[in-house]
Amino acid sequence: MSLLKKNYHSDRQKALKAGQKEGKFPLAVNRVRKEYLNGERIAVDDMSLNIREHEVTAMIGPSGCGKTTILRLMAGLEFPTRGNVESFGLPIDGPAPERGLVFQAYTSFPWLTVIENVQHGVAIQGYSKVEQRERAEHYLELVHLTDFANAYPDELSGGMKQRVAIARALAQDPNILLLDEPFGALDAQVTWEMEEMVVEICEDTDKTIVLVTHDIQEAIYLADRIIFFTRQPGRIKEDISMEFKKGRRFKKKEDLLTEPGYVEMEKHLYTLMREEIQGPLS
Amino acid sequence: MNKTLKTASSDNEHEGASELAPLFKPPREKFLSLRGTVNSTQSIFLGFIGVISLFAFWEISHHLTPEHQQKFLPSVTQVTSKLYYLFTEKGYIVDVAKSVYRIYLSFFVACLVAIPLGVLMGSFIKMRALFNPTVGGLRYLPAASFVPLLLVYLGPTDSAKMALLFLGCVFFLVALILDNIEAVPRALIESAQTMGASRFHIVFRVTFRSAAPQILDSMRNMIAVSWTYLVIAEIVAATDGIGAVMMRGARFLHVDVIMGGILTIGVLGVLTDVSFRIAAHFLFPHTRARR
Ligand SMILES: Nc1ncnc2c1ncn2[C@@H]1O[C@H](COP(=O)(O)OP(=O)(O)O)[C@@H](O)[C@H]1O
Ligand SMILES: [Mg+2]
Repeated sequence: MSLLKKNYHSDRQKALKAGQKEGKFPLAVNRVRKEYLNGERIAVDDMSLNIREHEVTAMIGPSGCGKTTILRLMAGLEFPTRGNVESFGLPIDGPAPERGLVFQAYTSFPWLTVIENVQHGVAIQGYSKVEQRERAEHYLELVHLTDFANAYPDELSGGMKQRVAIARALAQDPNILLLDEPFGALDAQVTWEMEEMVVEICEDTDKTIVLVTHDIQEAIYLADRIIFFTRQPGRIKEDISMEFKKGRRFKKKEDLLTEPGYVEMEKHLYTLMREEIQGPLS
Repeated sequence: MNKTLKTASSDNEHEGASELAPLFKPPREKFLSLRGTVNSTQSIFLGFIGVISLFAFWEISHHLTPEHQQKFLPSVTQVTSKLYYLFTEKGYIVDVAKSVYRIYLSFFVACLVAIPLGVLMGSFIKMRALFNPTVGGLRYLPAASFVPLLLVYLGPTDSAKMALLFLGCVFFLVALILDNIEAVPRALIESAQTMGASRFHIVFRVTFRSAAPQILDSMRNMIAVSWTYLVIAEIVAATDGIGAVMMRGARFLHVDVIMGGILTIGVLGVLTDVSFRIAAHFLFPHTRARR
């Protein structure tokens, strides 16, 4: 049975690589509708969206507009009611390490130390013991947690816990990193630090990232492209390219504030948000 | 603005470290302060007082009892000296060992059944649907109601006694472990799934591992219930064990023997509880920080 499964995995990996070479999108959402409570609630309706490689795509919108839903569909933790979600041309048939997910809730394993947590994710991928350790150490360094390698998650602050989660997701070497409001529970100053860390990670790894957030500044700072969602049912209201950044990443968040076009972008997003918050619930 | 800042800081330097603002002494914590604090010395001391008061109450009650009825409420010293006599002259230690053996073996078998079943039911909703109505229903049958059945099937054997102890806790243990497993946060399981973990890996290395401290706690609570069934189990054709000694004591109105038995069970129960706590301390170091 395990042999069959191995074959399935390597075949899938090959197909994904082929799709990637052909220039297929890392994630393609095709006319997806997702219903809950036997169709009583429509979380997402008729959504089509292509995520481009090496880009940071932020999904933003008012609370309850289906951001988490679409991310869970991308992760393979749930399946659409209608339509389909593909990764490099392959239908998503369940969660897989090539799509790493960081949850808003803390998901470090409390019985493992920080480094063991990161190693655990690597171990599942079948790396040797030495490689596991090396990868874990590398990614802990990337998230500035080397000094806390042997602490238990319960001894860490919220920001540190999320850094463990990010290191763990990166260490499993995903094509795509999915982040669901990873800093939603953190205070403003820690969030700021974490955002700058994500920029560093983008520079170092050039990952394809899908970031769900409700924070306008965060979206502008981190994203190359912002998808704005309407509220219930979730649809795409606007697909906005962050052209004013001219493809640059800003190590310091405050440097962005004086960039020509920033204020207009922020104002525009606030306007969209106000429309959605004040608009009638359909 | 810069200037004012500077003067402010140099003012501080002039005052020097020795002239700190007078310390405000917070009011002493009341004995009954809400959710207050207790250090280990205090808690040991208070626990000790609790035990002493119980024995004091017992001793005083003995002395308040009319003389001709005092044998129905022997004093602490009478009971302890009786216990000493039982241990030294009557081979009571064999009975105690027998009871401990019965409790631990039956509980071990109950765990062998309940843990896999609880983990299975908590991990797979269809397994839960299959077993839960049955297990849930069986919980409502008093274990003592199995006594006649067990006597018919197994006779006055050791097995009958252990079967009763087993039945007394196994169904509750399944229910408790099911709860422990279901309390594992969904996000923990899902994050393991996104790492590519197999179902097997998740059940054993994530769900079970995550619930393990709580499962040990459930076991600690259920073995206490096992101890409460001990006397009922050993009444069944009493031959040996603490319960049997107590029943023999009852036949001859030896209240001191009965109370000695109760005392023994109490002490053994506390020792069991403490050993479970010590095991938890060493098995799950990550839970120490929170306690
Ligand atoms: N498991 C579920 N059962 C029922 N309704 C759900 C479920 N998950 C999400 N929803 C509903 O779908 C809508 C979108 O939810 P979600 O994707 O979590 O929104 P967001 O992440 O944008 O705040 C909400 O109205 C929410 O109540
Ligand atoms: Mg959400």
